[in-house]
Amino acid sequence: MSQGFSLYLARDSGLHRLHPLTKLSLAATLLVAAFALPGPWSSYAVFLLVLLPLAAWGKILPGFLRSVARSVLPFAISLFLIQGLLWPGGSPVAWLGPLSLKAEGLAFALASTGRILMIVSSFLLLALSTRPDLLMIALAQRGFPSTLSYIVVTTIQIVPYFQGKARAILDAQRSRGLETEGGVRRRLRALLPLVVPLVLSSILDIEERAIALEARAFGRRGTKTSLQVLPDSRAQSVLRWAILALAPLLLVAGLVL
Amino acid sequence: MISVQDLTYTYPGATGPSLSGLSLTVPAGQVCAVIGANGAGKSTLCHALTGFIPHFFRGTLQGGLRVADLSIPDTPLAELAGTIGLVFQNPFNQITGARFSVLEEVAFGLENLGIPREEILDRCRSALELTGLQGLADRSPYDLSGGQMQRLAIASMLAMRPRVLVLDEPTSQLDPAGTEAVFLHLRQLASTGQTTVLLAEHKLEWVAAFADRVLVLSAGSLAADGPPRQVLGSGDLERAGLRSSRYTLVARRAQELGLASAAPLPVTLEQAVEFLT
Repeated sequence: MSQGFSLYLARDSGLHRLHPLTKLSLAATLLVAAFALPGPWSSYAVFLLVLLPLAAWGKILPGFLRSVARSVLPFAISLFLIQGLLWPGGSPVAWLGPLSLKAEGLAFALASTGRILMIVSSFLLLALSTRPDLLMIALAQRGFPSTLSYIVVTTIQIVPYFQGKARAILDAQRSRGLETEGGVRRRLRALLPLVVPLVLSSILDIEERAIALEARAFGRRGTKTSLQVLPDSRAQSVLRWAILALAPLLLVAGLVL
Repeated sequence: MISVQDLTYTYPGATGPSLSGLSLTVPAGQVCAVIGANGAGKSTLCHALTGFIPHFFRGTLQGGLRVADLSIPDTPLAELAGTIGLVFQNPFNQITGARFSVLEEVAFGLENLGIPREEILDRCRSALELTGLQGLADRSPYDLSGGQMQRLAIASMLAMRPRVLVLDEPTSQLDPAGTEAVFLHLRQLASTGQTTVLLAEHKLEWVAAFADRVLVLSAGSLAADGPPRQVLGSGDLERAGLRSSRYTLVARRAQELGLASAAPLPVTLEQAVEFLT
């Protein structure tokens, strides 16, 4: 099954079978924890001791590591360079020609990278192991507006469709002699005949899409049912609340200590 | 089941009406085909019967319009859905995008109607089977071909089991085998008496073979109304800017050359064979 523009990796694992909201509450609590936990090393510890084992359990470890590296490394490199080199009045630990890396700047970069790593990887774990439509169904069952969840899921599916449409317009305009390659100026000039048909046709599409949705009773009030059953258990529900309760505890602990 | 009285409708900003003084009654269980040149008002009629006129397109509507015992101008769209179904031409825009598999896509309308899960599954399976999509239930709706998507759009509407089903050129992307399957099924559906079918369609050969009745629209009014052989074989068609089917044309030519008698002109292959032998 193609998942469109989403990160989801289909696997048969316990992590995948967890209720989407359990995974969402873990990501939310880790988001809070990233700011509440003390010291630069605790977030790395959470990554190694919580997130990596969970990814391994979900059989998505290689994909998980690749996505984490791809999103966190650029931040980390620029943080270490900029904060290390430009920290005002710090004590230098290493010299790069006329420039010096400052200890305080490196410590700050280490702590910030830890936070980013923890937040990004906890949400990546959620995205890689949870079908976005099921997450939205779970949220809708808890009273999240169905229009909002519709927008989220449709966007995921429709991006590849729009890419295809943009390609078709590009080909059509090229076949009529539009020059799309060359210098910056020529490329800029070619942009308009590509963007205008895409936007206009999308606006026309919206009208038909709205009609199709209404015909499928999307605007009907009252209880909706769901074909997808989201397996849940008493234990998971307890776990969810425990994870969520951890967030304010961590905040308070962080303030007191 | 459908009752239209002296209906006149003008799109917002349009200079003239798209439907003018149209009156029409369709009894339950009939398969009624609407034909007409481009711009004759076929799509407008489809939108009016399903309530998108006047609730979605606005504009000015005069006259009586009742479908499935509901007064269309007085019933909100959300209450019409499920009772009156609409399938239109472009299949891509009828895929909701809210579901990731063909089966769930068909289920979407039923979920919105609050149908219990077991019944959703039953209805989806039978709708997929009727449209020949049963093997594709787990595919992404966006991975289908144009024709398969069009069958999916039809399946999604069939599963909702509307009392009146309006289809606006639903077979535009289907090959002859797919078109025949859709028409056969619409025929079956109507024969139970549970569903009334109104279908705007260009493919006259199929209309001739499967419709109970043919309406010819011309400039927003009814130019002809009757059984297929009477309407499609008459000169009304040319007057409404349409071309007769090849069977009728051959028979007419044969009559002109004195090769055939003055019987009513044929509109299907079988009738043509009978006419010419």
